Amino acid sequence: MQILLQLIASGISVGMIYGVIAFGYQLTFATSKTLNFGQGEALTLGALVGLTTINFLIGQAIATPWAYLLMLPIVLAFGLLQGAVVELLGVRQAIKTNSEAGWIMATIALGIIFRNLAENIWGRDALRFPSPLPEQALSFGGIRIQPMEIAIVVGALLLMLLVELFNRKSIYGKAVVATANDRDAAGLMGINTRIVITFSYALSSMSAAFAGVLVAPITLTGATMGAVLGLKAFAVAIIGGLSSGAGVVVGGLILGIAETLTGYYIESGYKDVPGLVLLLLVLSLKPSGLFGKPTIKKV
Amino acid sequence: MLKVENLVAGYGKVQVLHGLSINVEDGQLVTLIGSNGAGKTTTLRALSGMIAPESGSITLGGKEISGLASHRITRLGLAHSPEGRRVFSTLSVEDNLLLGAFPRVTGARPKGDVQADRNRMFDLFPRLSERRTQLAGTLSGGEQQMLAMARALMLQPQVLLLDEPSMGLSPRLVEEVFSIIRRLKDAKVTMLLVEQFAAAALDVADFGYVLENGRLSTSGPAAELKNDPAVRAAYLGTAH
Ligand SMILES: Nc1ncnc2c1ncn2[C@@H]1O[C@H](COP(=O)(O)OP(=O)(O)O)[C@@H](O)[C@H]1O
Ligand SMILES: [Mg+2]
Repeated sequence: MQILLQLIASGISVGMIYGVIAFGYQLTFATSKTLNFGQGEALTLGALVGLTTINFLIGQAIATPWAYLLMLPIVLAFGLLQGAVVELLGVRQAIKTNSEAGWIMATIALGIIFRNLAENIWGRDALRFPSPLPEQALSFGGIRIQPMEIAIVVGALLLMLLVELFNRKSIYGKAVVATANDRDAAGLMGINTRIVITFSYALSSMSAAFAGVLVAPITLTGATMGAVLGLKAFAVAIIGGLSSGAGVVVGGLILGIAETLTGYYIESGYKDVPGLVLLLLVLSLKPSGLFGKPTIKKV
Repeated sequence: MLKVENLVAGYGKVQVLHGLSINVEDGQLVTLIGSNGAGKTTTLRALSGMIAPESGSITLGGKEISGLASHRITRLGLAHSPEGRRVFSTLSVEDNLLLGAFPRVTGARPKGDVQADRNRMFDLFPRLSERRTQLAGTLSGGEQQMLAMARALMLQPQVLLLDEPSMGLSPRLVEEVFSIIRRLKDAKVTMLLVEQFAAAALDVADFGYVLENGRLSTSGPAAELKNDPAVRAAYLGTAH
């Protein structure tokens, strides 16, 4: 029982990371029915930019926790910018010409370019990311949890909550929801839906970059760190449903916990299998995702 | 106020409108009638920028708007209540109305009192008032139609385009919609009304155009059109 709870606790923080990245997939899908297949690389770049920034700040004799907090807005701003670039270079033209394959190829290609860029700037080796919180695990009735794991859960929920609040309360957020509902009708309201789509790409990459600096202190940072995370989060987005906000959190947790359980009870080499099996099951049994509403096409 | 000259438009290679000229004077209610597939919706789409016209000129208050993106045209004061209502189903009635005033709230048009205008809409459409916090997707067809009209009015537009506001409604609701159109006309709202209910449309309108296969066949003061034998035979025979 103790071990099981321990495994679940460990699975939760990984799952929340998947959830945040998957949340990013949802953001662009909602407004444009397209996805950024370079989400993993957005995470990588965010983590690496964060690493350089935090090391610089620590070099200025700023204590690590403060340096981490100061680094966050810079990484978030970088993520916004990076996502906007992806939309402008890779997606906009494909949407304009209604090209189905265009945005897939373009976002994958940009992802590869970003990965190469990261390799050339930061090298191929995994780098240690300074942890803003003590690395000593806390014990909750024998279950050991790292403070950073708690920070991941809190940070991930906070990000999604803030985006949701923006969508519900501000007129610009409502414009985003309107665009997701019906792009043409949103245009008739005087909403520049092209900018809304650019913005959703920016927000999507920002979420990934944030996930990058959340996870970096408990893993390692490097040019390839995002590739697998991006892919698994894609599975989470499909499992949870591309249109269900809460679905990605639950989907992320399911996958995160399934992985730690498999890794312990079966064989750590099979750790990646449950997610993919789940993905295949969902795709064949409930293609709109476990929590997604089936899309009704109105004529 | 709204002047269309030699409008040619369509979808991709398919040309639907083959050179229309329409004029809507300030404060006038003009109707565009025609049978199913004549190109009425396409005309309104071209006017509001939902599709880009191939050629021709469209001016709003003397300003050329042809070829502009739809959000730009809306910001210049042309509101469009589109065919099929197209309300934002996951947003509340109140939020739908607020978005109708998006250019006003965000500074692209004079702001005025958005809150007061929303309340005015609830007076004009009492059914919406009861449902103000309900999601638009849960409204009945008639209520959605009223929401679509009210949302377009929230722009405080110079010209309002209405695409078949009576479509799919029960006879009682059609009556209600037309009485609201009459009230808007009395309030001097400039409108271009597209209708299949030709008789009802010609009853309220000042001026009418008849569209046939993407070309205007007849036009004239609404009262005259109603007595035009050809129009009567083609459009007023069955309706009402
Ligand atoms: N999205 C579209 N793509 C291609 N053709 C269309 C589209 N919408 C309408 N059409 C065609 O344009 C013509 C005019 O349609 P429409 O403007 O909707 O007519 P109306 O509103 O008068 O019933 C019809 O022949 C219709 O098939
Ligand atoms: Mg039509």
